[in-house]
Amino acid sequence: MILDLGDDAKEYGRQALRAFEVTGGDQLVQQAEARPDLRESLAGPVLSELGAWELDPRADADGLEAAAALCRSAGYWALPYPVAERLAKPSDLDVDGLIIVADNRPSGVVVGLDSDWATVSLGGTRSRVIGQGATGPGFVAELELSGIDDHGAGDVALGLVLPCWTLLGMLDRAMELTIVHVGLRKQFGQPLSSFQGVQFQLTDAEVERSGVEILAKYALWSIGANRPEALDDALALRMAAIEAAEIVFRVCHQLHGAVGFCDETTLSWLSRYSQPLRRLPLGLSATRDELTHRVGGTGLTGLFS
Amino acid sequence: MGQEAADLRRELRQLVNDNVPEQFLGAFTENPADLETAQRFCRTLAQRKLLCLAWPAEFGGGGASVWEQTVVREEMWAHHEPRGAQYMGVNWVGPVIMRHGTEEQQRKHLPPIARGEVIWCQGFSEPEAGSDLASLRTAARRDGDGWLVSGQKIWTSYATMAQWCFLLARTSKGEKKQQGLTIFLVSMDDRAIQVRPIRCMMGPHHLNEVFFDDLRVTEADVLGTVDQGWSIVQDVMSFERVGIARYARCERLLSTAPAVLGDRWDDLPAELRSRWVRMLTHCRRARLLAYRVVELQSSGRIAPGDAAAYRIAVTKLDQDSAEVLMDIAAEVSHEDPRAEWFLGEVEDHWRYSQASTVSSGSIEMQRILLSRALLAAAK
Repeated sequence: MILDLGDDAKEYGRQALRAFEVTGGDQLVQQAEARPDLRESLAGPVLSELGAWELDPRADADGLEAAAALCRSAGYWALPYPVAERLAKPSDLDVDGLIIVADNRPSGVVVGLDSDWATVSLGGTRSRVIGQGATGPGFVAELELSGIDDHGAGDVALGLVLPCWTLLGMLDRAMELTIVHVGLRKQFGQPLSSFQGVQFQLTDAEVERSGVEILAKYALWSIGANRPEALDDALALRMAAIEAAEIVFRVCHQLHGAVGFCDETTLSWLSRYSQPLRRLPLGLSATRDELTHRVGGTGLTGLFS
Repeated sequence: MGQEAADLRRELRQLVNDNVPEQFLGAFTENPADLETAQRFCRTLAQRKLLCLAWPAEFGGGGASVWEQTVVREEMWAHHEPRGAQYMGVNWVGPVIMRHGTEEQQRKHLPPIARGEVIWCQGFSEPEAGSDLASLRTAARRDGDGWLVSGQKIWTSYATMAQWCFLLARTSKGEKKQQGLTIFLVSMDDRAIQVRPIRCMMGPHHLNEVFFDDLRVTEADVLGTVDQGWSIVQDVMSFERVGIARYARCERLLSTAPAVLGDRWDDLPAELRSRWVRMLTHCRRARLLAYRVVELQSSGRIAPGDAAAYRIAVTKLDQDSAEVLMDIAAEVSHEDPRAEWFLGEVEDHWRYSQASTVSSGSIEMQRILLSRALLAAAK
């Protein structure tokens, strides 16, 4: 197993962070919300410059880790582009990316993009996206599908894990912003950070964030090692990531106070754009149900199984 | 972890299987045979050079890798710590004596620990000094060429069975309360020491009060330098940074539950099976966080806050998994072949887990450490 990404992947992630910042940073998602049709032109060039589409997460551990690092950096800036979905594209279909969908109301964050998408259900049924239906917040559109085959089961784990890395980047940023905020904001003559009630909320959120980070590395390794339980590990990660996101964002909003809801505050954008990652293809309860059903009485691979 | 660690895990499981009764719930029950089992098991481990596996070879250890040490921690705690109280001597009393003890102290104390013959207790906490340990009042006042120690310790595990005490006492009043403290290595076989057991939910021999009434100690009993004991306390903390592998017992019990219920597992409420899976995920999370701490510590890159997130996660896991296991246990039928064993294990785990966020550094102290680290990193 891996407890950390390799140095190359981490450096690539740092370069991506800087590149996204130079390209517009927090402004990117705001511009894309106003003009979803600009999503490709806002994020596409910088991703190309970073060599994102030359990455092959299916080829080897280096490509897989670099893809994960890129997704995390994209999440940090709430980059308005489905990087994880693009990187998860199947090797045997002529499409731009892969979206994991639920059987009910298959949806993806594709509003404003002209790309060709394939989808795969958790059971492995693959389809081609032939149209978009009703749209919702966070660039989400319901997808009109045309069936391809039932050979997509092997693509599901990667398609679930990479978006969790994006969500992890959002949690990184939300924590970072909140820690800075409580250090600056004063009440009763002292910084919020001096109150133990504030400190303890931060630590509870950080435990959740760091838990997602370590599980994300494990799930990545599980995919790279072609372990048969890679999908179980991906679902376990997803479950933990959604739980963590709920706690982290709640704490971060609470500690930001009213300013955290304002559009001038990055947290407000991160929080709302984390929603598709947390609800699609399955929300917390459905993810937990799926995992419970899959592992039966065998459980997860560990010290005693 | 590597092949050596995997081989070690197999060997330890076989030894436990061969030497520890299945119904063993630790060394500190009402049944004296359990303490005997633990003492015998320590000697068995010692004969195989497994008791002090992590110690450097020069002190009779095996110079094991950090991952082999991790395996020992996991397997022992998963199986109710069949080393009994001796884990303390092995894990940190011995190593601290190696680092700070005189040659005479090392000759005197290390071989009995390595042979599995001696139990130590830790004389730290006091009625008015828990998390705020440096506020302790037990005092050693100068008397001729030695000191007379008077005061009270509390929550002292294993004091009724210990032969030695790793005692922290105040020898002078420093500018800061952390100054003027000294570690003494004292024999418990002294009329000036009285031990009073405190009955508690973890079992009859766990917690004690220890009273010192003019206990005579000498320079030879001082570990390290007089008045400089706080730095040794910091070392103790660093040896115990990862601490008990609580996740291992949680995972063992959770993993065993479906086999205990057999065909009836699928009849459990779906929500309960969901909580079970969630706890398995949290076991994995805690285990990986522990491995991260081990890796950081072994490479010398660890910072004070690094272990705190793990400690918070693992102590909460202990309590959360205990609640889930108790609910699963309520579904067990006495006709299930391993029902009695499982029910005993789970009930014991629940009682023990209540203390996990309090003992060995409370969860509040861990939160303080972690929040300090988070806020400092932002400056």
